[in-house]
Amino acid sequence: MNVGHRETADSDLVALAAAGDGAAFHALVERHRAMVYRLAYQFAGNHHDAEDITQDVFIKVYRSLERFRYDAQLTSWLYRIVMNACIDHKRRQSPAGWAPFTEEAELRMVNTPEERPGPEEQTYGGQLGEVLQSEIARLPPGQRLVFTMRHHEGLKLSEIASALDLAEGTVKRQLHAAVHRLRGALTSARVTTGGRA
Amino acid sequence: MTVCDLFDSPDIELYFYHELDARERGRVDAHLRGCAACRQRLDDLRAIRRALASRPVVDAPPAGDWSGFMRRLDAAIAADTTAPGAASVSPRVATPRRGWSLRPALALAAMLALVTIGVAIAARYRTTPAPASVIESASQAPAQTPASELKADPDRSLKVGTAEHLERSKLVVLGLATRDPQHTTAADWQYERQLAGNLLTDTRLYRLQAQDRGMTDVARVMRDLETVLIEASMADKPDRGTLERVQRLITKRDLVVKMQVVASSAGL
Repeated sequence: MNVGHRETADSDLVALAAAGDGAAFHALVERHRAMVYRLAYQFAGNHHDAEDITQDVFIKVYRSLERFRYDAQLTSWLYRIVMNACIDHKRRQSPAGWAPFTEEAELRMVNTPEERPGPEEQTYGGQLGEVLQSEIARLPPGQRLVFTMRHHEGLKLSEIASALDLAEGTVKRQLHAAVHRLRGALTSARVTTGGRA
Repeated sequence: MTVCDLFDSPDIELYFYHELDARERGRVDAHLRGCAACRQRLDDLRAIRRALASRPVVDAPPAGDWSGFMRRLDAAIAADTTAPGAASVSPRVATPRRGWSLRPALALAAMLALVTIGVAIAARYRTTPAPASVIESASQAPAQTPASELKADPDRSLKVGTAEHLERSKLVVLGLATRDPQHTTAADWQYERQLAGNLLTDTRLYRLQAQDRGMTDVARVMRDLETVLIEASMADKPDRGTLERVQRLITKRDLVVKMQVVASSAGL
């Protein structure tokens, strides 16, 4: 599939796609869709929403091809788009609505947990990973994204800050808050199972 | 847990994730040697990592099948009129993929042939002379037709709309007519079905309007187009027989030629 573009650099694919080469755009999608989907699934927790978010991301990429800065990393650009797509998705689901991703909106997210069952309310079958995954899904969206990008994607905090256009201190606080919540879930799970976890 | 200097700081997380410089790392190392609570925090982080590492990585739709996603993305982008250069980048228009590489050339060749044939046999299908107003405006592009003129002449408005609809439909019909039944994948068939389905409602409305106004030629071609679109859009299997049946319908009803003639009569 898109064999002709297998060796083409991301920035060249963007240039070709912006010039109207549909095959180049497809190659871009095929190259990065797994990463986008992985982040979207971590954020949404189900295939249906993950697919919606992934589609939104690539439509936004398509609309923004001409605005891509060629000195920038495509993945950084994509992370930012994924981030905004996740927030947009959350905003559509939330009756209160969400502002665009700004420091102010991010601060609101820090203090707004998801209303989903906590680990103590779940049937626990000794699967600590499942409990933690569930707790990640309950994290406020900002914390969830930062934790996912650091823990699952392995990005440095400075890279996350750059990709999300946030202060590095904000990213550190988000990570700290996320880990604090996960540590709490871990402790609860250990208590619930008498330390089996 | 004992409260210590680092209890409320993110330093243990930053240490765990290798985000501290050498000097800071040394400071935390020294602290950890004397603080059981922070060692426990570090152990918790390792436990979290181990537990999450045991979870499956989900980076694709169920069964790893991206085909549905790619089709929906194609359709969304094809319908996206907000993007700069949308018409040229849209994979539906420009992407030579899934065996579509010959389609534009075939369509172009067929179009050229049809225009020639259509002009030559137009008179055969015209049962009534074209109204003078249509003849006078035959050289005008629809976009150049003043809105006031269309409003004042509903028949003219319907003809212009009809011509535009037939123009849109022609590529879909040509795509169906020129597709090789032996090399049509399920994805290709799904795409054709979707295009046919999208045109169906408008086709029906144009047929009903044409019937109401006694525009027999337009109503006939819309009825034939509707039949082909129904046949194509209702078929859920990419079997060779279905596509051949659709192609026979197109040929038997001389559909492409009729569409060309009626569109030409309407002024395109």
